[in-house]
Amino acid sequence: MDFQFLIELTINGALTGLMYSLVALGIVLIYKSSGVPNLAQGAMVMLAAYIVWIFAGLLGTPILVAVFMALVGMFLFGMFTERFLLRKMVGQPIIMVVMLTLGLESLLRGIGPGLLGAAPKSLDLGLDMMPIIIGDVFINREYLVGGLIGAAMVGLSLLFFRTRLGTKLRAVSDNHISSWSVGISVERAVAISWGLAGISAVAAGAMWGSVQGVDWTLTALLFPAVAVVILGGLDSIYGVLIAGLIVGILGSVIPGYVDPLVGGGTRDVVTSLIILLTIMFRPHGIFGREDIERV
Amino acid sequence: MKRLLKGLAGVAGAVALAVGGTASADKEPIKFALLQDFTAVYTFVTSEYNQGQQDYLRLINETGGVEWHPIETIIRDTANEPQRGLEAYNRARREGAVLVDFFSTPVSRAAVNRVLRDEVVMITALHGRGDASHGETFPFVFPMMATYWSQATLLADYIDRHQGGLANKRIALVHIDSPFGREPLPVLQELAQQKGFQLRSFGYPSPGTEQSATWSDVRRYRPDHVIIWGAGGGQQVSVREAIRNGIRPENILSVVWLSETDARNVGGNHMNGVKRFEAVAFGQEPAVIQDILTHVIEPGLGAGPAANVGSSYYNIGVATMAVAVEAARLAIGEFGAPLTGDKLRRGFEMIEGFDARGLMPPVTITATDHQGGGYGRVSQWNGQTWEPLTHWTNAFQDIVWYEIEKDARGFRDGR
Repeated sequence: MDFQFLIELTINGALTGLMYSLVALGIVLIYKSSGVPNLAQGAMVMLAAYIVWIFAGLLGTPILVAVFMALVGMFLFGMFTERFLLRKMVGQPIIMVVMLTLGLESLLRGIGPGLLGAAPKSLDLGLDMMPIIIGDVFINREYLVGGLIGAAMVGLSLLFFRTRLGTKLRAVSDNHISSWSVGISVERAVAISWGLAGISAVAAGAMWGSVQGVDWTLTALLFPAVAVVILGGLDSIYGVLIAGLIVGILGSVIPGYVDPLVGGGTRDVVTSLIILLTIMFRPHGIFGREDIERV
Repeated sequence: MKRLLKGLAGVAGAVALAVGGTASADKEPIKFALLQDFTAVYTFVTSEYNQGQQDYLRLINETGGVEWHPIETIIRDTANEPQRGLEAYNRARREGAVLVDFFSTPVSRAAVNRVLRDEVVMITALHGRGDASHGETFPFVFPMMATYWSQATLLADYIDRHQGGLANKRIALVHIDSPFGREPLPVLQELAQQKGFQLRSFGYPSPGTEQSATWSDVRRYRPDHVIIWGAGGGQQVSVREAIRNGIRPENILSVVWLSETDARNVGGNHMNGVKRFEAVAFGQEPAVIQDILTHVIEPGLGAGPAANVGSSYYNIGVATMAVAVEAARLAIGEFGAPLTGDKLRRGFEMIEGFDARGLMPPVTITATDHQGGGYGRVSQWNGQTWEPLTHWTNAFQDIVWYEIEKDARGFRDGR
């Protein structure tokens, strides 16, 4: 066995997985506070990348200013989404809320390219394209930076949930009625969680936009992100980190060895199997909370 | 605003735009239906391609139409969905369209039996089924430019003639894992046997946004040349990963879907030296593009941003309509008005050595050969523009036609 090949697949897979975690983090943040699986997170990543591109690519501002503007814009977008879309769905069946997020995804996917043109846009974060080479192992520099940012974002999220505001969000995620009864504004807490999901979308959008360009295909990141949240647990931030690594490594190593035998294309099969097997054998994921309801 | 409308699924489907002009109003208009994917998979190319088509038809109308018949376009969004495409096709046919261009492989494949039955001409330039080149099996379908098989053989021929020969070389085909991505495999496998080179294919999952594991494997194969076969954002990811894995840009060759936009997105001068198959000339120099600038763009009649004029995909759109208008002109001249689908078909089959005044290779379409000869050339990105490296040529058409006939036979047998 070529161990250097295995090491390279593992390292780049792990870094890719951490970049998936950036997308998945937004889904978990929203689910933790409101119980809504947000299927528009991929489109939010695309939207965030477009905003960064508008400032950095179109208006020529420094990349840090562009990212800052996108952070503000996406935080507000998340807050407004909760205020004007989600809040109106209080009391509706959860499936309708999920459908609403799916509709939002479709709308954003149409609006972004419709307004700004469908051709992929270049997003240059100033990262050197050449890999870091250790022995015969090539490590993708963009993925390394993206992976580190992914790990840092997960760490910051864990710290955030230890703050006063974070504690309120945890209370809201535990029980809306109890939170209301002790004076916590559930609506505000949920809106903040949507805003935070917008912020994580900026990190994901900037990194993935740098890797592949900015266009509608960024929305396709929803698929591996869903695998990450299902495996890690819909309400677990730790889960995002660990599951991101697992999804990324398996999605790199298995195709690396199996693709040459079957002609390619097994990565999506691996991702699908992760989703199916997790739902069948551990529906709440590795770190997700298993709620047992009295009937 | 029009762009926004196109972006909103469900809204764009209702857009029907008639290209007006100065052609004589008392002559019956000729209707071309451009039912394309403005909102889903082909968005990376459709807006420029369609803009080129509209601008060329505007040019024709501004300069007298086709034998004084104005051309009207019916433009609707299909979102790359066969059902929506067929629905739009039915409406367009009722409205009198004699030509349809879906610019989508799934939609045009779904529509093949319908257009054959209805006797409506369907053009499938650079998409659709390669075996539609077989005119006797597909009398109303016209690929009219090099099929993917012809593109693959021409790229291989370039390596053979200009990059040290094919014998004993290692060629990697890195492709999106879809029927489109796998299409060149049979002709390259046949060539590998004939020319004595090693061929290995490496598929990556659609849409090609993440290819790192694939390219780690490619690097270990140590290929002498890499042929990349994808479209849209996946292409620039392929180029970046190739370069990152130590493959020299000069040894990367691409299917037709690699554009100056991809070069900009790869960034810097990293893509300098990368080669591609070119079906239509790039830039604003060709005479027909100059005419569009003079008669359409400068008076403010263009269908989109002036910056797109002369881009790779814009010029392909212009070329498709140039061939279609030439076919209509020949058909009306020979068979008279009103133009029907069948007359237009025969007009296409009368085209001989037509190159749209230097925009494209000379195309000759016959009742047997609807591909038009399978011509193209290899061009190279030099940091500023696509520089042609060869003349218009074709290669290994015997191998290409073996595939065309084999698949056409399968279609006739209901396979």
